[in-house]
Amino acid sequence: MKKYWFNKFDDVTELLLRQNARTSSRRSFLSNFGKSLLGIGALTLLPVYRGGASENVDKNKDESGDPNSCDYWRNCAIDGFLCGCCGGTNTSCPPGTTPSDITWIGTCLNPTDKKNYIISYNDCCGKSTCGSCGCQRDLNNTPIYRPQTSNHLNWCSGSQAGVPYHCSLSVVLGVKD
Amino acid sequence: MNLMRQVLLMLMCLATTAGATEKVVTDYMLNCMGCHLDDGRGYALRGVPTLSGYMGNFLSVPGGREFLVQVPGSAQSDLTDAELATLLNWMLHSFSPAQIPAGFVAYSASEVGQLRHRPLVDVAGTRAALVRLIDQNHAKQNR
Repeated sequence: MKKYWFNKFDDVTELLLRQNARTSSRRSFLSNFGKSLLGIGALTLLPVYRGGASENVDKNKDESGDPNSCDYWRNCAIDGFLCGCCGGTNTSCPPGTTPSDITWIGTCLNPTDKKNYIISYNDCCGKSTCGSCGCQRDLNNTPIYRPQTSNHLNWCSGSQAGVPYHCSLSVVLGVKD
Repeated sequence: MNLMRQVLLMLMCLATTAGATEKVVTDYMLNCMGCHLDDGRGYALRGVPTLSGYMGNFLSVPGGREFLVQVPGSAQSDLTDAELATLLNWMLHSFSPAQIPAGFVAYSASEVGQLRHRPLVDVAGTRAALVRLIDQNHAKQNR
């Protein structure tokens, strides 16, 4: 039985290869094959955000502005470095870092649709401080003696990755009003 | 890669923004979820207590009902007494319905207002003592 399936597999492979040989040049095949190999390799390097907040799809699409600017609407209460300037995006941690599960959550007004959104500022942890696009915007921030609404904390200290802190995300969790 | 881009775009289009979040859920998100996480599972690795499947146990031991209001995350929140009462009732029914004892009377704004102005001196010690009582209750039930 096994031999039968191996033979079938060989037949199908041969058929596909012969078809490919008839319809494409050797150079184009090698070129595409090379691209595929590179693509597969690159795919595993893509920054993928694997934290709790990733379960909450970043739903907002009606927005404008540069996510890598401190003035970007979602950054209204951010205190740290923007992950988009550090090899990640504003919703995904850079490669080699881990998002903090526990975090602080605030609200920002989206000027495009005039709605307030709930934003989660998860820190990305596990590498030394990024140092690019440092932003300090403190809307509704409270002093550190009210820690649950203070953005000055290093939330990496509460993550599974632990310190050091690398950069911060700004993930939309929902519409407030 | 074009195909991947198209699939991603389609997913993004499907994930359109829904309507406004319910007020009590927003209050949970802005005041509790950062540490207790979206389903109240907490974060044991860093000492954040689990709410889901547990919170209601406090209602069955002396001082536990008060503790849920007096714990700093509740008492010191920016919520009004009415909002905090609504939120605590919602959390109990959402995260820990099986542990709510029979005859439970929902928190009211006036009760919450009185309790939150009597701060706990030793939060961790109070909690540990209440958890011991809860464990004793469970041990008795399992005999």
